[in-house]
Amino acid sequence: MNMVKPAGLIFGIVFVFFSQTILAADSPMDQLKSTIDSVITTLKDKSLDSEARRSKIRVLINDRFYFRAMSQRTLSRYWKKATPQQQKQFVSLFSKLLENTYVGRLEAYTNEKVVYLRERNKNAKRAVVYTQIETGSTEIPINYKLARKNDKWLIYDVVIEEVSLISNFRSSYAEIIKKEGMDGLLSKMEKKLAEVPVKTTNAS
Amino acid sequence: MIIIDKNKRNILLFIAAIPLLYSIQGHAYQSPEGIMVAVSNPQTKDIKADDDFTVDDEDEIKVNDPFESFNRAIFKFNDELYTGVMKPIAIGYRAVIPEKARSSIKNFFTNLLAPVRVVNAALQLKGQDATNELVRFGVNTIIGFAGLLDVARDDFNIKIKKEDFGQTLGHYGMGSGPYLVLPLWGPSSVRDGFGLLVDGVYLDPVAYLDKTEDYLIVRFIDIETTISLDKDTYEAIKKDSLDPYIFIRNAYTQQRTGAVNK
Repeated sequence: MNMVKPAGLIFGIVFVFFSQTILAADSPMDQLKSTIDSVITTLKDKSLDSEARRSKIRVLINDRFYFRAMSQRTLSRYWKKATPQQQKQFVSLFSKLLENTYVGRLEAYTNEKVVYLRERNKNAKRAVVYTQIETGSTEIPINYKLARKNDKWLIYDVVIEEVSLISNFRSSYAEIIKKEGMDGLLSKMEKKLAEVPVKTTNAS
Repeated sequence: MIIIDKNKRNILLFIAAIPLLYSIQGHAYQSPEGIMVAVSNPQTKDIKADDDFTVDDEDEIKVNDPFESFNRAIFKFNDELYTGVMKPIAIGYRAVIPEKARSSIKNFFTNLLAPVRVVNAALQLKGQDATNELVRFGVNTIIGFAGLLDVARDDFNIKIKKEDFGQTLGHYGMGSGPYLVLPLWGPSSVRDGFGLLVDGVYLDPVAYLDKTEDYLIVRFIDIETTISLDKDTYEAIKKDSLDPYIFIRNAYTQQRTGAVNK
């Protein structure tokens, strides 16, 4: 009789552990797809006004983008030279800039077909998901680089037609830091965010 | 967009070859991948702790841009031409001609450039790619109404693979040389600019049109079609990046490095 309890306990622990791993077993591609699908659905949702739509998308994106990692990768060696205050400010400004860029581009391609090609797990903590946007005349390959944080796969770089967004930001930001210092960069970013968004023409 | 009198082709090619030769010679001591190489630091190859992304397994892109101030001037000129002239025309074009029709026109021009892809794939001894492009050209020209429809892609799942002479030179180990912004054309490099000239003069069928006006009209339609189908990429870059010049320079370099290695 005494043996039953520990056995039951072990069974219980194993069961809980096992079910959690099953729950967490959503592949990087599944997790990414659910975010992108939700963002596109939100973009198409005509019942929301633009303010509500934007804030809903902001939540979705914040949940999937690894902004701190992206900030570190963008600043690379300058990250360690920055004060904690500057780091914090950079992450906050950079998240907003990235969000604008990403949402702006998604908006332009809302009606095109997104195809999820395959995923590749580099190791337990890094994966790449290969996707493609198909328009009438062309195909645009977009690869998402993801890092695992606990059970979530978070985007830390987006590679569009071989072009890594983070690498692009890194090179332009490095030049600005070299000339104007970290504070110069931060004030430039603030100015950029304050600009009234340029109204783009309706592309089709 | 190169406008050349056919008689002057060889002279132009020769002139274009001078900076090319200079760039090879002047940088011969540089790494075999060329001057504009993606430098990866072996120390950063290890995966770091979760919370440290300052170094990762990423390659850093270095761009050789000794003519930056000159390039920036051309960039500004191109920007004004695009924003002030080419884009407004493209917007009018969008309003008048449906997207499907413009896609077909784009397909036609893409198909017309098949010789560039076939020859350059062959020069790189990529037999399968060369054959694919040849088949694509045959299928699209014959049953795709002279290339208006990309039947090869849609019905036979044979996809386009872009190859050009710049890629061919890169394939055989030539570095890209200094970054160049070409008037009317945009981002390029010494190697790719030379490649563009070779492709544009010998392999682009449009270059064999007799009259310069015809050449210009065809090129103009080609370019406006491309701009009209594009979803305001350039505007987005200009809007979102702190320095569009550097952003595009880096993007071009990454894109070409990727294309050469494919």
